[in-house]
Amino acid sequence: MGLYDGPFWRSVSERRLSLQCCRGCGAFRYPPGPICPECLSEDSDWQPVSGKGEILSWVVFHRHYLPAYKPPYNVIAVRLDEGPLFMSNLEGVAPEGDWIGRRVELVYATMPDGFVLPRFVLAN
Amino acid sequence: MVKPRHRRTAAIIGVGHTDWVGDWVRTRAGEKPADSVGYAARAFRNALHDAGIARDQIDGLIVGPTTPYERMGELLGLNVRWGGQADAVQSVTQACMAIEAGFAEVIVLVYGNNQRSGGTQYGGPNAMGGGAYLSYVYHAPWGLTSQGGLYALMMRRYQSERGFAERDLGEVAVAQRGWASLNPDAIMRKPITIEDYVASPYVCEPLRMLDYCLINDGGVALVIAEAGRARTLSQRPVFIEAIGRSDLNRNATSLAPRLLDLYLPAQQEAASASFEGAGIGPQDIDVVQIYDSFSVHVPLALEGYGYCALGEAGRLLREKGIGPGGQLPTNTAGGHLSESYMQGWSHQIEAVRQLRGECGPRQVPDCRFVHYSSDVAGKAMSIIYGR
Ligand SMILES: [Zn+2]
Repeated sequence: MGLYDGPFWRSVSERRLSLQCCRGCGAFRYPPGPICPECLSEDSDWQPVSGKGEILSWVVFHRHYLPAYKPPYNVIAVRLDEGPLFMSNLEGVAPEGDWIGRRVELVYATMPDGFVLPRFVLAN
Repeated sequence: MVKPRHRRTAAIIGVGHTDWVGDWVRTRAGEKPADSVGYAARAFRNALHDAGIARDQIDGLIVGPTTPYERMGELLGLNVRWGGQADAVQSVTQACMAIEAGFAEVIVLVYGNNQRSGGTQYGGPNAMGGGAYLSYVYHAPWGLTSQGGLYALMMRRYQSERGFAERDLGEVAVAQRGWASLNPDAIMRKPITIEDYVASPYVCEPLRMLDYCLINDGGVALVIAEAGRARTLSQRPVFIEAIGRSDLNRNATSLAPRLLDLYLPAQQEAASASFEGAGIGPQDIDVVQIYDSFSVHVPLALEGYGYCALGEAGRLLREKGIGPGGQLPTNTAGGHLSESYMQGWSHQIEAVRQLRGECGPRQVPDCRFVHYSSDVAGKAMSIIYGR
């Protein structure tokens, strides 16, 4: 992890997902970093986000690359309502047909090693 | 805006590559025929022989990203007055810049990669730069560690945004295999059909095994000379007519250029810079070379660089065709999917060979202009080669 990543993962472990937010212009920033790409301000804080968004794209891996991910498993790209794009996984019931545009909401998954990951389920 | 001045300031006078087919057989049998600098050195010898010049004519050296600069120069016995390290398309660009600036007159570009025998990981815990990169923190925890995964995400957006059909993607693999079947230097030469494509297993759905590039050992080298020197040194120089470039860096880690833009603004800007620079248009191009680590690069580039309207690549692939006998010959050596995965370098030497007219059964008749394009990670590059 880099110098700016701590607060993100801490917020996940506390099940209160927060993203870095620019105090200069109000833009949410993800991944976190030293300055705001919109206005170049260094001034920022961490704000909880709604955890709501929509699926921009999705894939299904059929190859075993990682011990924790036995294929087949999905990866989704979510556009959060606050703006940033977020890579994650869809848990629970999968949509029929095209996943793009489906509304999703945040859940917290505990991995076998105890690590907490932000994931998504289809919104009601 | 000042126009680039590099038009026909430099020409390629020599090309060479290693024994991709032989080394494929040897590495599959567990042998290690060479290391990365070894492959680059073999390609260098071949390019020097092809150029027909003495080694002491060379005064510039650019090495690919996979070999250390100093060791490469040491092995090739080259003391030079200018040097650098870059990927395929940047190497050609930097050579033109150095020649234009007067830093060097005859520059050799060398690339070698033992990615097969050396076990380079393109997916898994050590892929995508491992822990050194943001993607390891913001993609890998969710199981996204491969370039294939990124291009599969892009393919889904492409299907949704522009109506591209999954089955049409198979036309790319089939066409390029058709070219490869005519190329004795291609590793995969057995012709395939759309049915073979549809039967090929998914690696990262919607991309199948046949949408992925090979992973093989080898090397490529080119000799680029100042235009005047090129005319005296070579009977058949191939000129760099124009180069265009456009980079999408904003929100790159969260994949916005890939998923929201499909790289289109960068492709269009690079295309217009290079076509305007060369004074020609897509209709004047005889052979298209497209960086194809994955097949999906090809339809995206055909639309983005102006060979058809947006959303029309599927029809172009089906009806006009990009394979042997097709109206838009593309990746005529077989590309990264079927010839050899040399990270863009092999496309440059195929461009040169087509323009020289030495491609045998896969030769495109009266080839006058070749267009190379790449759009890796939203960095669009476009080079027009001519005689
Ligand atoms: Zn700001």
